[in-house]
Amino acid sequence: MRYEFRISGVVPDTLAAGFPELDRIPVPEQTLLFGSVADEAHLYGLLTRFQSLGLRVLEMRRLPA
Amino acid sequence: MDHRAPTGDPLLTARFTPPAVPELLVHRSELLGRLAAGAGGPLTLINGPAGSGKTVLTAHWAADRRAQRPPMWLTVEPDDAPGAFWAYVLEALHRGGVTLPSEVGRPTRAEGVTRSFLVRLADGLAGSPQPAVLVLDQFDTAQPPATAEALDFVLRHAAGGLRIVLTSRSDPLLPLHRYRAAGEIVEIRHADLRFTHEDAEALLGEHRLDISQAGIRRLMERTEGWAAGVRLCALAMQRSADPETFLRQFAADRTTIAGYLLTEVLDAQPPPTQDLLLRVCVTDRVHPDLADALTGREDGARTLAGLARDNAFLEQIDASAWYRLHPLFAEVLRAHLRQRCPGLEPRLHGRAARWLARTGRLTEAVLQGAAAGDWPFAAAQLVDNLALGRLLTGLEADQLGRAFAGMPPGTAGAAPALVAGACRLAAQDLSGCEAALRRADAALTDSCGPAAHLGRAFLGVLAGRAAGDLTATERAAGDADRLLGELPPPLLAERPELRALLAAHLGAAELGAGHLDRAETTLTVAVAACGPPGAEHPGTQDAGTQHDGTEYPLCDALGSLALVALLQGRLRRATDHARASLAVAERSALPPGRRAGVDHLVLAGVAVEQDDLAAARCHLDLAAAATGLRPDPATTARAAVIGARTALAEGDGDAALAALRAVAPERLSDRAVAELAVAESAVHLARGDAEAALRLLDAPAADGPELAVARARALLALGRGPAAAQALAGVPEAGEDGVAAPVRAHASLLRAQLAEADGDLAQARRRLAEALALARPEELRRMFVESGPWVRRILDRDPQSARLNAWLTPAAPDRTASAPRADGQPPVVEPLTAREVEVLCKAAEMLSTEEIAAELFLSANTVKTHLKSIYRKLCVTRRSDAVHRAQDLGML
Repeated sequence: MRYEFRISGVVPDTLAAGFPELDRIPVPEQTLLFGSVADEAHLYGLLTRFQSLGLRVLEMRRLPA
Repeated sequence: MDHRAPTGDPLLTARFTPPAVPELLVHRSELLGRLAAGAGGPLTLINGPAGSGKTVLTAHWAADRRAQRPPMWLTVEPDDAPGAFWAYVLEALHRGGVTLPSEVGRPTRAEGVTRSFLVRLADGLAGSPQPAVLVLDQFDTAQPPATAEALDFVLRHAAGGLRIVLTSRSDPLLPLHRYRAAGEIVEIRHADLRFTHEDAEALLGEHRLDISQAGIRRLMERTEGWAAGVRLCALAMQRSADPETFLRQFAADRTTIAGYLLTEVLDAQPPPTQDLLLRVCVTDRVHPDLADALTGREDGARTLAGLARDNAFLEQIDASAWYRLHPLFAEVLRAHLRQRCPGLEPRLHGRAARWLARTGRLTEAVLQGAAAGDWPFAAAQLVDNLALGRLLTGLEADQLGRAFAGMPPGTAGAAPALVAGACRLAAQDLSGCEAALRRADAALTDSCGPAAHLGRAFLGVLAGRAAGDLTATERAAGDADRLLGELPPPLLAERPELRALLAAHLGAAELGAGHLDRAETTLTVAVAACGPPGAEHPGTQDAGTQHDGTEYPLCDALGSLALVALLQGRLRRATDHARASLAVAERSALPPGRRAGVDHLVLAGVAVEQDDLAAARCHLDLAAAATGLRPDPATTARAAVIGARTALAEGDGDAALAALRAVAPERLSDRAVAELAVAESAVHLARGDAEAALRLLDAPAADGPELAVARARALLALGRGPAAAQALAGVPEAGEDGVAAPVRAHASLLRAQLAEADGDLAQARRRLAEALALARPEELRRMFVESGPWVRRILDRDPQSARLNAWLTPAAPDRTASAPRADGQPPVVEPLTAREVEVLCKAAEMLSTEEIAAELFLSANTVKTHLKSIYRKLCVTRRSDAVHRAQDLGML
């Protein structure tokens, strides 16, 4: 499964390093993080990690394989 | 209840204390008012992302002196297993002055608690004079669904005796819709928590910052009222030469707020402080000495105090030298640490582990050692502190087991091998455990301390019992006994459960091998080693939450003693031991999945011999539900015998045979093989195949009075009276000792039957009276029922004897008076009263206790009393089981 997460603001390198499994594209005032997600446990784990780093998820969607 | 005096571990105490309210604070009176109103009802929910000010608001409210009684506090941690969670809740209530009845008990297993524990807790809270208000801080999704479900249960059944205030980053798994529909919840959510323009202005004022209205608007737009953002910004502005310019830059920047502000605040610190912050973030809580151990400098106390004063990143834990990092900051700091100093993190974990071990914090040292990947160190902590058993029992078993889940299978060294063995044993993987123990043996040398050798012997005893190998168990127990003498007594005093565990397992192995007298002696020692029943055991480190671990061996040893008594034919004693074992399990809320179920098995065995088939079946079901320990081979065989006796008594010979034939004959003692053969021959006899019954009894190598009696029965059924009499000749007569009473009673009964067949009525009557006299003390009814109608014929001819032996037909008039039942269903021993039937009917409609009370115009307590009586009569422990059982019996 591939997922894309739209995060509010530009995620600095330091915090992005916490998500080596995801690629990153800065867009105006937001950051797109995307990559392959192993399973649902991984997905919820990612959401929890975003939350614990104070990253706000604006949007999340599954990408076509 | 076992509440030890707090020994003052500040980290533990901190969990029961509201965090200090920041000095610079906005008084959010509207929210405080809503919180106060919410705490007047069952549930208050404070929801918002990290740093939104949930805890600060709640702590502010808790510190309000105007409240009549300060709320109780518990900071929930993600690693709290369900059992540990409830142990902490009890501790929080206790520290808050709530006195619960002692029968509530205390959870001792990490995995969870029993429903009956929750019922007792709810009852206890319902009975307390004023409602307990409990804050559960950080009740996050890390909590398994079972905990939320259990909390909901207690909340709904405490009859207003419990009020919960939850703070959480995400909605808890409580049925919130139901609380909303009932108007029983007050919610303070993210939108409510956001700082308003006025709040921000007030906070900046507290920081002595004079910011223009436009500046505040910019701040509000950028942070969207996020409390941590506003606070961090105020902090950064204090250190900035030109706050307005800082605000403009901040507003123009597009980096995520937390990342931007934390980096700003971190970079504004002097380099030694930055270094300290980056290093201490590997632990959530930090002591100045620990900070020094992590930095290699000596400025920990000063730097931490300064940071706490500035309210930057961390706060002091009430009245202690410890500090805690804000969870959000800790996460961000860790991200910085990984980027700035790659590879340093594991080394820091290792240093923290060593400091924690030096200061006697075993569990934390093990967890940090595991996080460092330093398996030999982490494993050695458990082994050297004689704490291998904590991987198997206790509130921390899950947490410790998870920590070692990452240990590579072949990690070298004796301690890692021993830990691996204990973990395999906890997972019921006996061969995996034995393999690990072989690796430990290869690594163990004389240079290893006595603790490592004791660890090996300890696991040897446990594995030997599970394998049904008495020789190996005895050898290991002998080693353990010798090694215990070589260890320092103070260390042993901290582990009162060790001797009890060793004796309980050795006794069980002796029982498995059929040495009843030896087993009885050893098991009695095990029970004595657990201390006097219900005694307080002072001296363990963590107040209240650290039980001393003797509940488990006590429950186990009592269960084994019950089985010994059953096999000795002392049914009353067996019942007493089994009930004592159940009481211990109940008090410590051992979930069925962690119980061996021997106690229920014994009660089933007693019930079937007393011809109380309903009770036997129900205890067998309860024993089957207890799936915790994989029983040793002998117990498996005995379970099959008792199951077969019950099935046969119920008239289901096929089920009886199936139960007996499912037992694998390997690793069984001769005695157990003989018990199986006797039980199977009884099945054949009941089906009229006496030849097959007799053939079975010729096979077993073991000989003994039980076999002689069984043989005589078969011969008698074949009409071979003289041969039967000859078989019985070897069985001691009544009045002689050495043979269990049931066997002698049975022999006398057969002698009576022989005399009756010969037409010698006087002799038959004499022998029957002998059998009845032997059987009466233990109420052994089954053998007379099995023997056939001739017993009744003889007794009926003699009114005096019939009166004397009224015990043979217990409560016969009541039985017929009880509700009509479907054919073939066993009767209820004691009929339900009309009121009890009413209560049960309402329970069947899924009504709660309160609802039943309302419908029947009773008090909730009366309903509970009725329910307890119903459970006892139907021989069940749960409401749903009572309903099912009553339906099966055709009573509903």
